[in-house]
Amino acid sequence: MTWQADPTMIDQTLPPPTLPRAGGRWRAFLRAPISKHTWACFLYLVISGPLAVAGFMFVVGFLAFGVFSAITFVGLPLIGFTVVSGRWWARLHRRLARKMVGARVEDPAPFQRRPGLLGWLSAALTDTTGWRALVYLVLKFPLAVVGAFGAALFWVEAVITFLYPVWWKIGDPTNKDSHGRIHHSALQFGDFFFETWPRALMVMVVGFVALFLAPWPVRAVVALDGVLMRWLIGPRRSDRVRELEEKRSHAVEDSAAALRRIERDLHDGTQARLVALAMRLGQARETDDPERLRELVGNAHDNAKDAIAELRDLVRGIHPPVLDQGLDAALATLAARSAVPVELHTHVPQRPSPAIETIAYFCVAELITNIAKHSGARHANVQAFERDARLHLEVRDDGHGGARIGAGTGLSGLDERVRTVDGALTVHSPPGGPTVIAVELPLGG
Amino acid sequence: MKIVIAEDAAILRDGLIQLLTDRGHEVAAAVGDGDALRAAVAEHDPDVAVVDIRMPPSFTDEGLRAAIAIRRERPNVGVLVFSQWVETRYAAELLATSSSGVGYLLKDRVADVSEFVEALTRVAAGGTALDPEVVSQLLGASRRGDALAALTPREREVLGLMAEGRSNVAIARQLVVTERAVEKHVANIFTKLDLPPSGEDHRRVLAVLRYLES
Repeated sequence: MTWQADPTMIDQTLPPPTLPRAGGRWRAFLRAPISKHTWACFLYLVISGPLAVAGFMFVVGFLAFGVFSAITFVGLPLIGFTVVSGRWWARLHRRLARKMVGARVEDPAPFQRRPGLLGWLSAALTDTTGWRALVYLVLKFPLAVVGAFGAALFWVEAVITFLYPVWWKIGDPTNKDSHGRIHHSALQFGDFFFETWPRALMVMVVGFVALFLAPWPVRAVVALDGVLMRWLIGPRRSDRVRELEEKRSHAVEDSAAALRRIERDLHDGTQARLVALAMRLGQARETDDPERLRELVGNAHDNAKDAIAELRDLVRGIHPPVLDQGLDAALATLAARSAVPVELHTHVPQRPSPAIETIAYFCVAELITNIAKHSGARHANVQAFERDARLHLEVRDDGHGGARIGAGTGLSGLDERVRTVDGALTVHSPPGGPTVIAVELPLGG
Repeated sequence: MKIVIAEDAAILRDGLIQLLTDRGHEVAAAVGDGDALRAAVAEHDPDVAVVDIRMPPSFTDEGLRAAIAIRRERPNVGVLVFSQWVETRYAAELLATSSSGVGYLLKDRVADVSEFVEALTRVAAGGTALDPEVVSQLLGASRRGDALAALTPREREVLGLMAEGRSNVAIARQLVVTERAVEKHVANIFTKLDLPPSGEDHRRVLAVLRYLES
C-alpha cells in the first residue's frame, strides 16, 4: 500500500505505523466500517466514478475523431489537444485523490511548450506525461465501473444479508421445494431453506461479518487507483532527476553565495580594520610627539578590538560554535539575543545531522532577524519539534503580517536553502498578522 | 602634494586623510566610488589620486576603470591604485594605458608610512611604484621566461627593484652595494634583454615591464 494519509485525513482507527500491536490491528478492523478513511474512500469512489466515465469518453471520442480526421489539417492538432488535456484530467484526479483520501501523488513536470504552432504541436504529440495520463483515463474507466460497482455491491449485499430477519418476517414469502412442500423463506440453497429463527439469525451473522469486510474492497479499489496514479500520472524518474539537478545547482549556488558573503565581510570588515591598525602603528613608530603617539596607539588599540569583534561575528556566521552543543542550546542563544522577546519550545529527541542543524539554526536566526526588522511584532514564538521523522520549525509573531516569499525579506533565499535538502518552507502571513512561518526538514542530511 | 582619495571603507579613508595631512600634504577630496573620484579629479586637478580598486557599486574593479580613465584623460595626474590583493591582469592593464605616473600597491604597504608616502610622491612626479608582490607575479607570469633565465639571481633582484620604480641609489641602498655595481647590473640586464639604455628611471622600468608582458 502506498497510501500516505495527509494529516487531516489520518485514519484515527489505525495504530501509528511505529507501534504494530496485534490489539491495535484488531481494533482497526473492528472500527473500519465507521472509520473516516473508509467513508472518505467510499465518497471518493462515488465522485470519481462519473469523472472516470466522462474522462474515458473524452479520450476515446477525441482520439477516434482525431485519428479519423488525421488526413485533414484538424486531425493532428486535435490529437495534440487531447494529449495536453490529458494532463488537465490527470490533475483533476490527483487533486481529488489528495484532498479526499490523502493520496500522495506529486505533480509531474509541467508541459514543455515550444515556440510556434508547429512547435506546440510537436511538443504536444510527444508529451509522454500527457499520453500516460490518457492511458490512466482509459484504465481508470474499468476500475471505476467494475471496481467501484463491485465494492458498492459487496456493501449493499452485506447490509441486505444483515437485515435478512427483517424482510424475511415482513415479506413472508412462500416457496416450494423440489418435493412440492411449502416453505416460507427469503433465501434458499437448493432445498435448504432459511425459514427458522436460528437459520435466519445465522444469515444475519454472516451479514454482520460481511459488514466488517465491506470496507476492504472499497479501500482496495482506492489503493489500486493510487498505484495506477503513481505509476501513470505521478512524476516520472526523469522528473525526479531534473528536480534533483535543480536542487543540486541551488546547493552549489548557495555555497558559492555563502563564500562570497564571507569574502565580502572579511574584505570590507576585518581586513580593512587590520590595515588601518597597521597604518596607525606605522604612523606611531615614526612620530616624535608623545601626545600624538598615545592617540595613535589608542586608535590602533580600538581597531584591534573592533577587528576581533568582527572576526567573532564572522566565525559565528560560518558555524556557530554553540551548535556543537545541540540545536536547542543554539536556538536558546538565538532567542536570548533577539531584539524581540522570543518564547522558545524545543523537543527534538533525535539529533538531526549537522547540516540540517546548521540550516535549521540559520533559518530561525534569519526569521527572528526578519521579525525584529520588518514585522513590528512585540512578541515571537519559536517551536522546534520532531514529527513523522522530520524536524519541524515554527516561528510565529504578533506583527502586522504581509510577509511572503520573494518580498525581499530573504525568505526566498531561505526557501531555496531549505529545498536543497528536501525540506519545505511555508508562509502564512495575512495582512494584519499574525505571521506563522513553518519549516520542515528531514532529520538526516 | 594635492591628493584625492577614493576608498569605500570609511576607516581606511579617514586613516589615509590623517596620515597624509600629518605629513603636510593637502587632501582635496576623499570619495567612496569611481564616478565620484572622476568628478573630484576634474574639480580639484590634484597631483595624484589614491584609488581603491574594489569599490561600489559593482565591487569588482570600479577603481581600476576610473584610474585608467583618469590616466587617459589627464596625463598630468598620477594614479596610485591599491588593493587587498594582487591581480597581475590589473597591473598589466594599468601599465598598458600609461607609461608613467602610475602605481599599484598592496594596501598593507600603508603600514610603512614613509615608504608609502615616498611611493606616492614618486607617482605624483610621473614615476612608477609597483608592489614587490606585483613585480614578482609579473616576472613569474612572463611568457619570456627563457630570456629571464639568462639573468643571474642578483640581476633578477635588481630588475625586480627597478620594476618597483626604484632609482639606482635606492637599489644600491637596499642591496647594500655601491651605486657603480648597480649600474653595472642594469647595463647587463639591458644587454641580456636586448633593450637600448635610456636616461630616465621610469622609462627603463616600463620598458622592462613592457618587455616582460609582451
